[in-house]
Amino acid sequence: MSLFKLLHNLPYEGIMINAITRIGAKSINLARTFRDTIYFATVIILKMFSKASYSSAMRVVLVQQIYFTSVQILPLFIGISIIFGTLLMGIVLQIVKNLGLAEHIGSIIMDIVVAELAPFVTVLLIALRSSSAINTEIAVMKVNKELNTLEKFNIDPVDYLFLPRVINGVVSVVLLSAFFSILVLTSGLIFSKALFGLSLESYSNVLLSSANFYDIVISLIKCCTFGFFITLIPIRFGLNATNDLTSIPISVLNGMVDVFIAIVFIEVLSLILIFI
Amino acid sequence: MELNDFAERNKENLGFVSLDAPLLSNLDVWINIALIKQYHENLSAEKARALVLSYLRKYGMEHIAEKRNPALTSKERFCAMLIRAAMVRDAVIVIDRPFTVLTDVKNDRFICDALKVVENSFRECHIFDYMWHKERYRTATA
Repeated sequence: MSLFKLLHNLPYEGIMINAITRIGAKSINLARTFRDTIYFATVIILKMFSKASYSSAMRVVLVQQIYFTSVQILPLFIGISIIFGTLLMGIVLQIVKNLGLAEHIGSIIMDIVVAELAPFVTVLLIALRSSSAINTEIAVMKVNKELNTLEKFNIDPVDYLFLPRVINGVVSVVLLSAFFSILVLTSGLIFSKALFGLSLESYSNVLLSSANFYDIVISLIKCCTFGFFITLIPIRFGLNATNDLTSIPISVLNGMVDVFIAIVFIEVLSLILIFI
Repeated sequence: MELNDFAERNKENLGFVSLDAPLLSNLDVWINIALIKQYHENLSAEKARALVLSYLRKYGMEHIAEKRNPALTSKERFCAMLIRAAMVRDAVIVIDRPFTVLTDVKNDRFICDALKVVENSFRECHIFDYMWHKERYRTATA
């Protein structure tokens, strides 16, 4: 019996058909969004490896973007890294001591703090600050017809606007994540000395012997992927704005929800890759 | 001739002056203008800035270099857009409804004076406007 006939034999078939239609429409929308994002990502990646994309104008934007994202955020970032990282490090090492897992201290610090926590905290901070700004900026440009200006003067917005922002996302997440790790590892040194009596040399040896090349590569790829998508998605949603001012908050809202979904998706994917 | 057809035919050298191609509001005036040379001719930021300042000096408007679009008067905005259009190589400048940019100007005298300042920097200039603005274009040629 076909699904349609089956549904017509059921009570409330109209409600069920509506529900299935809605689910179908949402699935199609989701698939379209995913397809468009992948297509846009492919265009950006191809442009990334084209020498012609790196004009003087683009390089200026790239430097400015890195300054806005990686340098201006430093006071806030250092503050959060020290407070959050130190507290977390203290708690983790205290638990390690209580459970008698002192011999695993290196792997616990490297696996939890450096490989997982550093990229995650970094990407959340950058997404909150820069992704929303990028989404709004592109949406405002669309509403103000400023993208039209670029078109009239034969300036490719991918080269001039989007590529520097995406490269900046990748560079910033990698650099700030490394910086977060350094700050947290430094506070780890203080706690290791206080709780386990480890010297700087022993602490360094423990960390180095626990560092796994595969995990570092996965972390690096994760940081790059985070940086890529938390800038690419806001750009794409910014472009979805119409000529109406009220479309700006809607575009930012949808963009930021998708950025959050992308962060969770990449995090889960990386965890699967690490633990298989 | 229709503006869009004309713009399409001269796409490669089009220097467009119109509210439909506004200055980018998150960039200073000088960066808006320098952008054309930096993007198309890979001119360094320093050289492009010097070039832009030399043009702004001709209009006595050096002080607007660091300003942004919303902070400009209508005449400053028009001159900035005109210089940006003149930055295009072999520019075919198209001024689309100039009085929508120059809201406080009554006739074409200011437009003609502004064009004379950059006359060596473009190949052609075409003004598109409504027929009922015809009277406003008589003064400069009178």
